Amino acid sequence: MSNISRFAAVNTKIKTLEGEFLLAKDYRNLLEQKSVADAARYLKNETAYKEVLKNIDLSQIRRAYLESLAKQKMIINIDKIIHYFNGDYKRFINTLYAKYEIEELKAVARAVYNGMDTKPFRNSVFIGKYSKVDEERIYNAKYIRDIIAAFEGTAFYKYMQPLMDNNIKENLFRFEMVLDASYYEILQREWEKLDKHDIEVLEKAQGIMADLLNLQWIYRGIKFYNLRPEELLNYTIHLGYRLNKNFIKQLCYAKDLDEFYQLASQTRYSFLFKNDETTDIFMERRLERHMYFELKSVERSNPMTIITTFAYIVFMEIEVRDIISMIEMIRYGMPEAEAEKYLIRALSGGE
Amino acid sequence: MAVEKMKVIGIVGNNSDLDKVARMVVMNGTIHMLNAISELNSNCLELKASEDNINAMQELTDIRPYRSNADFSEDEKIIKAFHDVLNIKPAVIKGHINPSFNYHELMEDLKKSYDDAKNTLDEIEELNSQIATKQNYIQNLRYAKIEDLDVGVLLNLKYFDFNLMSLSREKYKKLKLNYENIPSVVIHLGVFDDSDIVAALTPKELKEDAERIFTSLNIFKLDIPKGYTGSTENIIRTLQQEISTMKREIEELKAAVQLSREKYETVIVKSYTMLMVEKKIEEIKSEIALGENLFFMFGFVPVGEIDKFQSQVKCVFQDRVILVAADVENRKYGHSPPTKLKNNILFKPFESLVEMYGIPTYNEKDPTPFFALSYMLLFGAMFGDVGQGFVIFALGLILKYIMKNNAFGGILSRLGISSMIFGLLYGSVFGNEEIIEHLLIKPMDNINTMLISAIVLGVVLINIGYIYSLINLYKRKDLEEGVFGREGVVGYLFFWTLILLAIDKVMNILGVPTWGYIVTLAALLLLMVFKQPLAHMIKGNKELYEDSPADYYIEAGFGVIETILSVLSNIISFIRVGAFALNHVGLYIAFATMAEMMNSHAAGVVVLIVGNIVIIGLEGLIVFIQSLRLEYYELFSKYYSGYGIPYKPVQIYNHEDY
Repeated sequence: MSNISRFAAVNTKIKTLEGEFLLAKDYRNLLEQKSVADAARYLKNETAYKEVLKNIDLSQIRRAYLESLAKQKMIINIDKIIHYFNGDYKRFINTLYAKYEIEELKAVARAVYNGMDTKPFRNSVFIGKYSKVDEERIYNAKYIRDIIAAFEGTAFYKYMQPLMDNNIKENLFRFEMVLDASYYEILQREWEKLDKHDIEVLEKAQGIMADLLNLQWIYRGIKFYNLRPEELLNYTIHLGYRLNKNFIKQLCYAKDLDEFYQLASQTRYSFLFKNDETTDIFMERRLERHMYFELKSVERSNPMTIITTFAYIVFMEIEVRDIISMIEMIRYGMPEAEAEKYLIRALSGGE
Repeated sequence: MAVEKMKVIGIVGNNSDLDKVARMVVMNGTIHMLNAISELNSNCLELKASEDNINAMQELTDIRPYRSNADFSEDEKIIKAFHDVLNIKPAVIKGHINPSFNYHELMEDLKKSYDDAKNTLDEIEELNSQIATKQNYIQNLRYAKIEDLDVGVLLNLKYFDFNLMSLSREKYKKLKLNYENIPSVVIHLGVFDDSDIVAALTPKELKEDAERIFTSLNIFKLDIPKGYTGSTENIIRTLQQEISTMKREIEELKAAVQLSREKYETVIVKSYTMLMVEKKIEEIKSEIALGENLFFMFGFVPVGEIDKFQSQVKCVFQDRVILVAADVENRKYGHSPPTKLKNNILFKPFESLVEMYGIPTYNEKDPTPFFALSYMLLFGAMFGDVGQGFVIFALGLILKYIMKNNAFGGILSRLGISSMIFGLLYGSVFGNEEIIEHLLIKPMDNINTMLISAIVLGVVLINIGYIYSLINLYKRKDLEEGVFGREGVVGYLFFWTLILLAIDKVMNILGVPTWGYIVTLAALLLLMVFKQPLAHMIKGNKELYEDSPADYYIEAGFGVIETILSVLSNIISFIRVGAFALNHVGLYIAFATMAEMMNSHAAGVVVLIVGNIVIIGLEGLIVFIQSLRLEYYELFSKYYSGYGIPYKPVQIYNHEDY
């Protein structure tokens, strides 16, 4: 199928859906709200989120529930888009759900590991969306082992199976790392079935995202986790665009943070490391913001490819993340000027 | 009529009677469940406000869905173990089902039997799992054999650790990238099932370092048996011997249990049946609504079955359970009724071809009779041959009675008969037109007649299609499409005007001037363009358009072009019926000529037989598909929507899976 006939309709649909994105004005108005219920009311009356909020009693709404409704909206929109695809493309888009499912699974696993109640996580909307796992078994898990067992027969199981060995004690860290790695492997396996040009743009877009995440990971590994270079390397994401694997290896084997800074400053991503106290606080936000602009530029230079869909889903994710942050800020009464700094979307020019 | 009439029933009773009622529904087997919550939300349950019903009315204010907490896995495991050991085929015996049955007591009985045989059954299970482990060992040792690794020696090294492991392809690349920093010798054994299999030899001193690195590579250690010596080949052989010994042991254990087969058999067969019923009951319960003390259950039932069910319920529960039946015609909201097709034996098999396109909606006329007749007609006309038709007829019977493919066998045998009838008309036996005299026409000698009659046939069939469409639209009371639409009255008139124009042009009998036709056609097209505003005007709606007028007229404009094109192409499409009838003869002539060119008579006969097989296989398939195409595209698109829901009553079959 030619790219025009594959993407013309869906890209038009995406343009319409992009029109639903919150405006800077909406962000400002949301930050001005005084309570979670007010924020929910604003979302319901003024934005596209009315679709998920219309039958909800707003006076009693809780933060966690509102967050899950925002995510629900993401699912509704992605499902709308999936309708436009078939075959390998449909499967690929569906794989993108795995990222969000993994994020929620890690949260549940953390609760299970620490012996906490999993009830608050029952609002998770992505669990099972990609893997088709039986959600009940996840929520009823007593140990990480039970979670893994629930995944038998799904695409994730192959990656989790090694964790079932008895000689290494049950380990939350490994569980999280394995799941993250599995996502990128599954994703790549699925995109390799697409058209050549689509693979190229995905390699670029996802590669840049992986570059950023790898830098963050190695930096944190050296600074906080005290992991050995071999382990650091083994846990990096295998995809990469501007940083090749030998450079990544060099980074992992950096003797100390100074050597790491020195190496990182040669890359285009040097802005992440300012060598002052803002590095750690804003790293996440700088990373996401950079990702946003890189994706925009890849999207602009590759019309009529899968990147429009891919980027839309990431942008949607960014918006939902920001909404969740804003609800938290409202809940904990952070002043507006301060709050702005932590949002991925830049509300005013400059840093 | 061919779509069976349905009624909605509502059942209200005490929660304590729920299981019994549900069991009765399963036994009855004619009730298509409806979700009670959505039913109660969309349609008012019509209860007479009498003393009896007052409780039910009150409870309606606070209803919730049923939450299942049934877990049959334990029971299933026991029953399955018995089935395996005693070689009993899982079967549902309907005689065992009765409404006031206590499932838990039965399960107690079953557990008692299980306790008797528990030791032996456990032993069998244990042996089976050991066999599985050993088979896994063998599999892993085979990997080692790829590089001729001598596992017996490697495992017993004093200063080295030996491991087999699998890891994902990406992680293997990482390992290769950093090989110089890994304190092990790693040998790559190959890629299986999208994973890399490697063997690693590590000095025991560095074992801990290596473990950490391998862990971060998310390796999966493959089990290798400890305590064996000798070459890898020998170990595999020993393991295989052990497996066969265990298999023999299992057979002996099974034989021991089978001695007391009679003791267990009845309870197991009964348990299996009841387990299946219990599972169906859970299915039913997932659709009900619960109040404080009462339950509400809804379903569709064919009209003919209602009395039987009503009297069954009355008989068991007297007045404790309220049962109301309502007509579906007055339903405004909620789910539309399911469709159950009812056709006579001649048309029945063709239902499967209709369903391939879609199920008729409840209010739609079942197209199966027309489909069946026209399909047989089209197939026969294209593939008319007494001999080949008989072969197809015979194949159909074989499919139906020996291979138990009822639908497809039935279709083939009917098509075969039709083909034989046309064979008589064309005078063709296995392609040969000299054995019998034709009754009607010889296709090859009357090419024009064949093609023209094909078109005439097409006009007749499309005509019937229009009539079906008009009936369906009338039933739906759809003014816009029914009167002004392409498949409605206006469309029908357009179709006929076009045909009259053609007839007049060719034969010159009516003498209406051409511009007269053109004016009529143009007027009809205009009516189609303005169908929505016209319909809304007649109905007195204020809003003339549902969407914006601009969008509407763009769509309508293209609609005009499409209408003109499709009316013409639909009719001409039927020319293929004549063409394939000719093609059929032509293909035979080709083989007959080849047969004549053969030197010996025997070789000629062989060519003719091969030729006939090719014609039946290849042409038969093509004609089968072409007829289907004509039906689906030329006819169904006119009058058939196929958006119905199939009727699926809750019932229990003789062979249910666990």
